Amino acid sequence: MARDSYQEQLEGLREDVCYMGEVVMERLRMGLDALDRKDEDLAREVIEGDYEVNQMYLELEQQCIDLLALQQPVASDLRFIAASFKIITDLERIADLAVNLGEYTLDATRDLFPDVDIQEMGVVTLDMVDDAVQAYDREDIDACRELATRDDDVDHFAERASEIVVRDLIERELEDASEVESLLQDVSRLLLTIRDLERVGDHAVNIAARTLYMVENDDELIY
Amino acid sequence: MTPPQMSHSETESAADQPDTTLDSDIVDDGDGPDQRTMMDRTLLEARNLDVYYGDEQALTDVDIEIPEKQVTAVIGPSGCGKSTFLRSINRMNDLVDTARIEGDLLFDGKNVYDDDVDPVALRRKIGMVFQSPNPFPKSIRDNVAYGLKVQGDDENVDEKVETALKRAALWDEVEHQLDESGLELSGGQQQRLCIARAIAPDPEVILMDEPASALDPVATSKIEDLIEELAEDYTVVIVTHNMQQAARISDKTAVFLTGGELVEFDNTNKIFENPDHQRVEDYITGKFG
Repeated sequence: MARDSYQEQLEGLREDVCYMGEVVMERLRMGLDALDRKDEDLAREVIEGDYEVNQMYLELEQQCIDLLALQQPVASDLRFIAASFKIITDLERIADLAVNLGEYTLDATRDLFPDVDIQEMGVVTLDMVDDAVQAYDREDIDACRELATRDDDVDHFAERASEIVVRDLIERELEDASEVESLLQDVSRLLLTIRDLERVGDHAVNIAARTLYMVENDDELIY
Repeated sequence: MTPPQMSHSETESAADQPDTTLDSDIVDDGDGPDQRTMMDRTLLEARNLDVYYGDEQALTDVDIEIPEKQVTAVIGPSGCGKSTFLRSINRMNDLVDTARIEGDLLFDGKNVYDDDVDPVALRRKIGMVFQSPNPFPKSIRDNVAYGLKVQGDDENVDEKVETALKRAALWDEVEHQLDESGLELSGGQQQRLCIARAIAPDPEVILMDEPASALDPVATSKIEDLIEELAEDYTVVIVTHNMQQAARISDKTAVFLTGGELVEFDNTNKIFENPDHQRVEDYITGKFG
């Protein structure tokens, strides 16, 4: 086959993006575990480890730029590189959201809303990221379309969870002013966590959308 | 010269043949220009075009509609027939003894291979620029004026030379040395001089066969800019081996593959982003081979 080295570079990019996906999923898993177990050491590990993900992002971005500049890709190769370029941005953002989970863990003082199952939402979004990265790796367009529908469930879950928090807050009777301040901080942290996990789901859908474009030149899931 | 073997052979002297139909103003294709937008008006059209050199078939059943005042790039591997196609448009293949053409090649609705078409008059309407700059060993002025004189046009020659040089983006560089030899110019300037020579008779179509392949990147860039500007006034058809050049400068791209087959013809961005045919995809991504 002609341009063997070029084809190897494209395959290398695919493998590297998938590897970045695995690293980012591990960060997200660690962030969720840290939050669940109130494990401050693990939380710090996630926060400090973000540097590594950022470096990985910059290296992959450079790989994409080099391929564009030096190989002048066209057609499916061009779409693959363009999609990969966007997907690494989504993965890097997911890692940032994992960092947020670590920071919430360090800020957290109490578990005030046991009815809101953050872990369940976390597992659902983590699965979505896993499936999105696999869809990219396998060029599985059915999985891409299926992911878009699952995101509706995550959005619904996030709405319901936020509603539980607000409703509980209204009904709660507070003893003194210092308790109000502390509660507001905890509520704010929880709402941000819900929003962040909902955004993880959005990024998973973005990855699926770019994969669908990459494979089929179909932009139906983009925006 | 031995007459070429052509189904519509050019057996009579060109001068004996009346140029009755090539003036686009008087050609009526029955469609009416008001029924098409200017952007999409077809100026050149091949229908079931086959070209043979002796027993070898160089083009196979080519159908294509080339729009007016746009740049159409013709790409494909060596030997795919892209230059043959280009040379069929202004009957340059008439000069090849073994060439034989079947099918139709319409210029503004008129088959250029009809018996009543004068190839010399045709080439006034459809000029050509070649791979290597080939100015004559004459002054810059005479190089450009040559095309006019061949056509018997000797009125306001200086004015027309200036206009052609300006359109070819060369005037500013040579206006004070018009009497110096064209051969003293740089390669890029020589090629623009040849473009000026081609456009001096005010053609409708400019055919270009690898016009920048012998030039350095700076000269190439000037030629590419010029081609885009020329498309405001002319229909440009360019054969190029450089796919990125095709991608940069053309509105439409035709992909010929082995066997002289036109596999795909579409908007250039479609060809380079999402071609319909796997063979085209394989060719443009370099998987061919």
